[in-house]
Parts: sequence; structure tokens; C-alpha cells
Amino acid sequence: MYLPEYYEFCCRVKMIAGHDALEKIPEALAQLHAGRPLIITDKGVSGAGLVDTVVDAIKDGVDIGAMADDVPQDSSLKVVNHLADVYRDNKCDSIIAVGGGSVMDTAKGVNIVVSENADDLMKFSGAGALKRALRPLIVIPTTSGTGSEVTLVAVVKDHERHLKMAFASYFLLPNVAILDSRMTLTLPPAITASTAMDAMAHAVEAYTGLAKNPMSDANAIAAISLISNNLLNVLKNPSDREGRLALANGATLAGAAFSNSMVGVVHALGHATGSMCGVPHGVCMSILLPYGLEYNMRKNAHFTGELLLPLAGAEVYVSTPKHLRAEGAIAYIRKMNQDIHNATDGRHARFLEEVKDRDGKRMVPREKLEAIAGAALDDGSIFYNPEECDYEDFLMIIRAAWEGAPLDRTLIKGV
Amino acid sequence: MDDFKEITSGNKPFKRAYVAIMLWFVGRAIQAAARVDKNVKGEFKKLPEGFTFCLGVLPKGPYMIVGKNEKGRVKYLGWEPGGRRIDLDMKIKSIEAAILMFTFQESTAIATARDRMIVDGEVPHACAIVRVLDIGEVYLLPKFIARQAVKRYPAWSFGRKYIGRVRIYFRSILGY
Ligand SMILES: [Fe+2]
Repeated sequence: MYLPEYYEFCCRVKMIAGHDALEKIPEALAQLHAGRPLIITDKGVSGAGLVDTVVDAIKDGVDIGAMADDVPQDSSLKVVNHLADVYRDNKCDSIIAVGGGSVMDTAKGVNIVVSENADDLMKFSGAGALKRALRPLIVIPTTSGTGSEVTLVAVVKDHERHLKMAFASYFLLPNVAILDSRMTLTLPPAITASTAMDAMAHAVEAYTGLAKNPMSDANAIAAISLISNNLLNVLKNPSDREGRLALANGATLAGAAFSNSMVGVVHALGHATGSMCGVPHGVCMSILLPYGLEYNMRKNAHFTGELLLPLAGAEVYVSTPKHLRAEGAIAYIRKMNQDIHNATDGRHARFLEEVKDRDGKRMVPREKLEAIAGAALDDGSIFYNPEECDYEDFLMIIRAAWEGAPLDRTLIKGV
Repeated sequence: MDDFKEITSGNKPFKRAYVAIMLWFVGRAIQAAARVDKNVKGEFKKLPEGFTFCLGVLPKGPYMIVGKNEKGRVKYLGWEPGGRRIDLDMKIKSIEAAILMFTFQESTAIATARDRMIVDGEVPHACAIVRVLDIGEVYLLPKFIARQAVKRYPAWSFGRKYIGRVRIYFRSILGY
């Protein structure tokens, strides 16, 4: 077990997980001295009937102040201010966010406005700007991937001023995260797979990165094991409640790991591919993860090798000689991608060239790879990557991931 | 070192003086490298006009400030942030952490990973400045030390490494 000379770790979010976790919300709110929540969600979530499930589970125990389902795909300042007005007009005393990353970011933004009585959210952006606890916030994730339910950041876009405001504070951590299998039961297989592989990438990058520590490692190992053991079963049997709950737990554990130990080259290239070509984040993650591990092997093969245990199980781990375990772990992740590809009738892409949009058009043209490599240089994730990454390095990795051929490790620079 | 008692006065004058000298050198070396090294030149070219960057130690210094003026020239701007507008502010949380970094016991990357620094500013700028600092370290330090400070010791040509090093040392000391 690797123990750094010094590290910091913080994850103070109460977890309530189970097949009937939603029913515990009134009690959790009462403990926080609240009882009149504003429910924030988006049209997709409410359209799928998930908010009805939440309301049915809690309506006898709390007095719902209001329900707003107009959060757009991208969080925006206008919506944050509008929802803050809804909160005040309905005399709410707490917030319940039901949805994915942008719903949670919006809810965190609303919480700053209503708690600090802020007219300008900008004043609270940047590190250290928030000085005290905000109103009670309960989050209910509806995908198993981003880990936003345990992260202390929020991004809100001001479309009028063309600004992206980033907030980072322990006060933005939700008070409670609810993992309930009913919330992800209807998630389509391709999205289930890509979001789960995003969570996998969080855990793997946190475990193999420079900021790893025993607290994050424990979370990461548990996450990898839960995701690896359950993802394919859930894809083959989407109504598997135990499997769904396992994936939700895995994503949250991975969130706790990476929000403390950060991510690396996989996310740097993934963010760049996402912003240049619009490829969904989870799709980038599943494709790039084995390449990132191959690229970093010279620095951290021993850590990557340890991951063969939670990935493939004790039998495979023990029967693989120590010096082959890192390669074994990477091959295992590649095989997962292949199995997911088969289980989703080919909808899960295995390499970047294969990524198609809804109309079947190729999303990542080869001519864009240079631009992706350039954009990755501006991504803060590279700070935490064990190996140096310059433009040529990024280009080499993204080209291999585009073609789907394993990385030629003899071409990696350095001794 | 072992024979001497460590001085632990509130101000830690020796440690602060050591870090101050190192920061002064780093600042002047960045200015010099921006003239001599093509990669450092390239990094500063992409940064906005009037960009200023401060590297220092909390709570009360020392600091060093480097800026790029309207003509695109990179200059060491001294050790006092004063009332200056700083675009990228990198602060090492304590003098002890700064000593670990400037005695090269801990690389910039490991220091960041261990939460030893507070960075305020835009992430792409921070990425660029970290690359500049790494190049600076390769120029200023002998290989066996620089290898501890950067993630990967670069394979530079003889000219870039040795002639570049002489030019940067020369310019840093003379300050142009
Ligand atoms: Fe991610």
C-alpha cells in the first residue's frame, strides 16, 4: 500500500443507498432542520417519470415547496437566478436535485444565491470565496458515472457575458446523496455503459495518478470491483436491481476517489476530444482508458498491475505473474470494451474512428486529431499524470486510440 | 546539516532568504529563457498581452513576479506584488513546502499533487507556466538534480542544452 509523505482527503457527504433509499429523504431533511424542499431537475428526468417516483416516496413526510424541471443541458446563470426566485417565492428551506451533472451544478449555484443572498454569483467564484455552510442540499443522481454527488465543484455558464464560472468549496458538497436503484433502472444500455466506464476511468486514474493516497485508493478499488463485476450483467439484464445499485455505488465511490486524487492523461485527452468533436464524455473515457494506462506504464506499472485484482478477480490475479499484471489489467479493460460493444449491438464504440452521432455520421475526423492534442495541453488534469505529456505525446496517444491499435510503447519518449 | 540546530524563529529568516534567492534566480532565468529558448518563447507568445504571473510563499513572501508587456517582451518585475494585477497567482502554502521544492526534494508535480500550492487564475495559463518552469529547471540545474524536479528529463541537442544554459546563466546574472 502506497503511503505518500503528505496528503489531504475530504468527503463529508452522507450516503443513503438501497432499493428504498428515497423513502429516507424526509428523515434526512428533518435531521438538517429542513422540511420544505425545492426539487430541481430537467425535462428528461421528469419525462422519464423519475421525479414522480421521488415525489411519491417523500410526499407524506415533507411539504414540497416547489418543483422546477427547466434545467437546460448546460447550466446557465439565467436559470440559476430564475430558480433562486422560485425558491424564495415558495419559501423553501432546502434543495433536492434529481438528475445528472448539469442539474447538480445548477442546484449548487442556486444554493449559493439563496444562502448568500447574492445578486452577483461571480463574487463567489474561485477558491475560498465561500465562507460558511449553505442551505441543506440533497442530491439524487440519475446516471451512474460523473460522481458529481460527492464533488465540491460546480460550473455555471453566463451566456450573456460569455463567462464560465467555476466554484470550488467544501461548502458545495451536498449534505446527503441518495443512491436508489429505481433512479437508474430505465437508463438505456449504451448510456449505462459509457457512464459506468467514465466512473471506471475516475477510479483507475485516481489509483494510478500522482495524488493517490490510501483513502482514495480504498474507494477506487471498491469502485473498480463493483463496476467490473456488474456492468455486463446489467447490460444483458437492464432490470437487474442489484446490479444497478452496485453501479451507482461504484460511481459514487469513484467520485470520492477522483475528487480527492484527481485524474490524468485520459481525462486531459477526453475533455479535449469532447470539446473539439462533441463526443460524449463517457465514450471518450472508455476508449482512451487503456491507452492512458499503456502510456503511463513506465512510471506506474506496479499500480496498474494491482488493479488486475478488482478488475478480474482473485483467481486471474494470482495466476498472472507479477510482471505481467499491468498488461493484464489493460487487456482486461480492452476486453470489457469489446464485450460492451457486443452487448450493445455495436453501439458502444471501441476506438475513436468508430464513434458515430445519431445520424450515423463519424464524429472524430482524422484531421481533428492535431487540434485535440493541442487542446489537451491546456487541461489541468495533466498536472496529476505521472508521465510528462507534450504535444507529440498526446498526438501519438490520440492517433492510436483513433485507429484502435494498441500503443507502440517503444515510441514513448524518455529513458 | 546534522551538526547544526535548526533555527525555528517565527520568521525563519534563513529559509526565507534561501527561497528569495531561488525565486529571484527563477524570475530572471524565465526572462532570459524567453529570449533564448524557442519553446519558452512559444509558450509566452500564446499568453495574453500584459499577462503577469506571481510565484511566492504564504503567508508573507518571498515572491517573484514575471510579466509580458504590450510589445510581447517578457520581464522579471521584481519581488513585490504591490497593488499589481496578477493574472496567474501561484502560492506555496508554507515556507517548509517551498524549501522542499527549492531544494528539489519534491518536484513541482508532486508538490501540486500533495496540495502544497494554491493556484488562482486560468488553468491553461497555469499549464503553460508549469511547462516554462520545467524548462527553466532543466537549464539551471545539473542533470542529476533536474531529473528529480521534472517528470521526464528531455533529450535536448547539445546546442540547446549547453550553449543555451550558458546564455541563460549569463543573461540571468546580468539581467537582460
Ligand atoms: Fe470523467
